[in-house]
Amino acid sequence: MEKLSYQDVNQGVVQRCISGDHRAQYELYKLYSKAMFNVSMRITNDYTEAEDVLQEAFVSAFKNLHSYKAEASFGSWLKKIVINAAINAVRKRRSELVPMDERAVADVADEVNEDESEWQVEQVRRAIQKLPDGYRVVLSLYLLEGYDHAEIGEVLGISESTSKSQYSRARKKLLEIMKEPQFVA
Amino acid sequence: MKDRLEKFVQDHREEFDVFEPRTELWQQICQDLPQKSPEKEAKVIKFSFGDRASFSADYFFMRVAAAIVLLLGCGLTIFLMKQQTPESAYTLASSESITTEVPEVGAIAPELPEIEAYYVSQIEEKKSELSEYDMKVLGLDEQQIIDKELARLDSSYTVLKKQLYTSPNTEEIVNAMVQNLGIRVRVLNRQLEVLQRLQKINKETNLKQQTNDTSNV
Repeated sequence: MEKLSYQDVNQGVVQRCISGDHRAQYELYKLYSKAMFNVSMRITNDYTEAEDVLQEAFVSAFKNLHSYKAEASFGSWLKKIVINAAINAVRKRRSELVPMDERAVADVADEVNEDESEWQVEQVRRAIQKLPDGYRVVLSLYLLEGYDHAEIGEVLGISESTSKSQYSRARKKLLEIMKEPQFVA
Repeated sequence: MKDRLEKFVQDHREEFDVFEPRTELWQQICQDLPQKSPEKEAKVIKFSFGDRASFSADYFFMRVAAAIVLLLGCGLTIFLMKQQTPESAYTLASSESITTEVPEVGAIAPELPEIEAYYVSQIEEKKSELSEYDMKVLGLDEQQIIDKELARLDSSYTVLKKQLYTSPNTEEIVNAMVQNLGIRVRVLNRQLEVLQRLQKINKETNLKQQTNDTSNV
């Protein structure tokens, strides 16, 4: 889990942001916008929507900065805001994310032999983009954002075990997609 | 205990962040943020460096530039308006009097301007003669009635003049107009006569009184 790396740098900047210093706000934005945009992008899977989410998240973060207690790193605090905003955006777009545990189990073959071929980052990334919303969100949160199943369950409003089963299905589906002809490197 | 996929993703974590938001997004975010301290913002231009400086400067200059453009625009509009209104007024007035009225009257009834000029000079003459008499001294309040009559004649004259442009029977209207002017002159003449006679009588009575007075003494 990539965390805590900026914490010391940020304390002063965060204080200046609270007092309304635009320069400090821009400093934080520069530091985090790319990472946060990619988080938003992975969840929404839509460039415009990801930007809207990023804007909404930063605005709300700067407005609520006084409630940031430095218990966690600023990055993970901000990331939580982004993830929540992104999930809301996806939920607004489609209601199918809500009853995620009711997804048919049968749509993924049980047995996927993890072949020996080398993966490429681009190949994996594009395969993740091809996953349906529910799978993509859980898999991204777990694999890329470093959330554990308890945390995923919390942000998505599902149980930990649902998150686990959802993740394993998503993982299988992902490996399937990567075996499709256009994904074989 | 990590499986292969997890390990792969963790090893290449940085490479998964391939997207970048548009650079304009920060401006949009800025617009949604409360503007707390404008003085501080102004200072930023002087003290900051690199990207930030150019950004803040751009932002600031945009605002200044917008204000200047607005002011210039207002100034120019007012300037042009002031320049144009008298000009257009003149052209309107002159075009009306020169291009529409005179040539048309001349075209419809060529003799009319001349007749008009003659009667107008007559009327003015009589009026000035009349004004030399002091009505109150002569014990006359009739002037008001005459003024009313003249005003009525004047308004019917303008109606006739308007009809001249629209009516096909120009000769009749021109005759009516001439008649109208003639009546005015006659009215004024009669008033003059009355006044002259009154003055004469007054003088005679005054003389008689004077002679009576002297004879009495």
